[in-house]
Amino acid sequence: MSERSIDNSMKQDAFSKYHPAVNLLFFAGAVCLGALFRHPAYLIAAMCSSLLYFFALNGLKALKTILVLLPTLIFITLINPLLNTRGNTVLFLIFKRPYTLEALIYGAVVACIFFITVIWVNCFGKLFTADRIICLFGNILPNLCLLLAASGRILPKLIENSKQIATARSSIGKGGEKEAIKDKLALRFKILSALTSVSLENSIVTGDSMKARGFAAGKRTSFKPYRMTYCDWLAAGIMTAMLAAVFGVLLGGFAYAEYFPGFGIAEMNGRNIAGVLIYSGYLLIPSALQIKEKIRWSISRYGI
Amino acid sequence: MKKSDKLLLAVFLVLIPVTLFIGGKLPGKGYYITGIAVITELCAPFFASFEKSKPQARELAVLAVMCALAVAGRIVIPIPHFKAVFALIMLTGISFGANAGFIVGAAAAFLSNFFYGQGAYMPWQMMAYGAGGMIAGFAFCNFKFPKKPWIMAVFGFFATVFWIGPLLDCSHMFLAMPEISLASLAASLASGFPVNISQGVCTAITMLVFGKPLIEKLDRIKLKYGISEAENGL
Repeated sequence: MSERSIDNSMKQDAFSKYHPAVNLLFFAGAVCLGALFRHPAYLIAAMCSSLLYFFALNGLKALKTILVLLPTLIFITLINPLLNTRGNTVLFLIFKRPYTLEALIYGAVVACIFFITVIWVNCFGKLFTADRIICLFGNILPNLCLLLAASGRILPKLIENSKQIATARSSIGKGGEKEAIKDKLALRFKILSALTSVSLENSIVTGDSMKARGFAAGKRTSFKPYRMTYCDWLAAGIMTAMLAAVFGVLLGGFAYAEYFPGFGIAEMNGRNIAGVLIYSGYLLIPSALQIKEKIRWSISRYGI
Repeated sequence: MKKSDKLLLAVFLVLIPVTLFIGGKLPGKGYYITGIAVITELCAPFFASFEKSKPQARELAVLAVMCALAVAGRIVIPIPHFKAVFALIMLTGISFGANAGFIVGAAAAFLSNFFYGQGAYMPWQMMAYGAGGMIAGFAFCNFKFPKKPWIMAVFGFFATVFWIGPLLDCSHMFLAMPEISLASLAASLASGFPVNISQGVCTAITMLVFGKPLIEKLDRIKLKYGISEAENGL
């Protein structure tokens, strides 16, 4: 069990110093655009920048995640031609169906999009701690956020309690050293049952305590450690402008990429070069902030 | 007509068709984005009615415990591939009604993603888990299925294999498949089927062994502390 919610390592990330709404805007834009582009240049830009930020957030641990993802990516690439037989260049026949080059390449494109989405969502999860989520949605969905926050608190306590119950049981000789899976399961259900009784009773105490402190007595406000500052508005403005430009290129149809029946991929003309540059610029914002912070930190440290 | 019903109708008749129409025009894998948007719109009426119902502090605390318990099941029962989470969500739905089942299911999916790392499948998980709790609530509270262990076990098995499982498997089609078609839907469903069967069996076992005790515990809490299910029912 990793206690991610009380992970303090996020304090070092420069982008997380911005308001959660700014972070949400960035990730919404990155995931949307990542899913919509099929043009290779844009895909490469998105892959490189998402990987850079992923490594910046996770360090070398990121390699493990990528290695786990790799078989899925290969699977997606290879499975597409089996489902989809369109395309001009037939490589070979399998199950009496053509296996085409175009479908294979398109499979790779889909795998890339999958990869980009997964990496961005992973970064999002790393950045969005409980306090940020509650800051964003606490006013819109107060009860749901309270439910989430409360169960996020109860979860580690439950796990601790279950260990206590297991220890207590084993110290009176009911620990169940038996190996058979049926006995193991029965034992575990007994622990779960005891755990449920204890925590339900506790929850009533919690509920009464909440009520005694004025729950539902008036309009509830949520504690917000974040405020939209001048910097946040500026960042949001710049991001929106960049997003608008990239969406313009995309929805204007300038970055078209057709894979069936033959390849028809937009040339890298002026519009597309500008599009790729703005797109990469947008996606590199968090990494750039972090690099800037690192440089500033080392300068102040060594007194250069 | 109640206000919440109007909201539901507005979502189904206006909002979702408009989203699908706009989503259909998006290039690339726009259907992933469209899928997330539609799921958000589907969840919105439930969340809104939960906020409207103004739950008491005790109710909220009990629901929070059930949600945490569903997530902790994986740790408390450390047997590989044994998942009690669907059974626990369904039991919450059975005991507290369809709406509470949906809320606890969605919250449990979110929480488990939160603790084990966010995945790109999260919206589908929230929807599927919530739908599991909801259907159990409908069957046992609204349609008054008898709350006997073996009925709950059979119901749990079928609900997992033919309702929660397919909803979860759909996410493969949206995320990993190259296009939205019957063939890719069939491939996603077929690849998930063995896992669904194994999870259905786990759900049935949990219902059989743990269903009655848990329902009794929850009933006792409701009776002793006066938490009514009518307020939370749909």
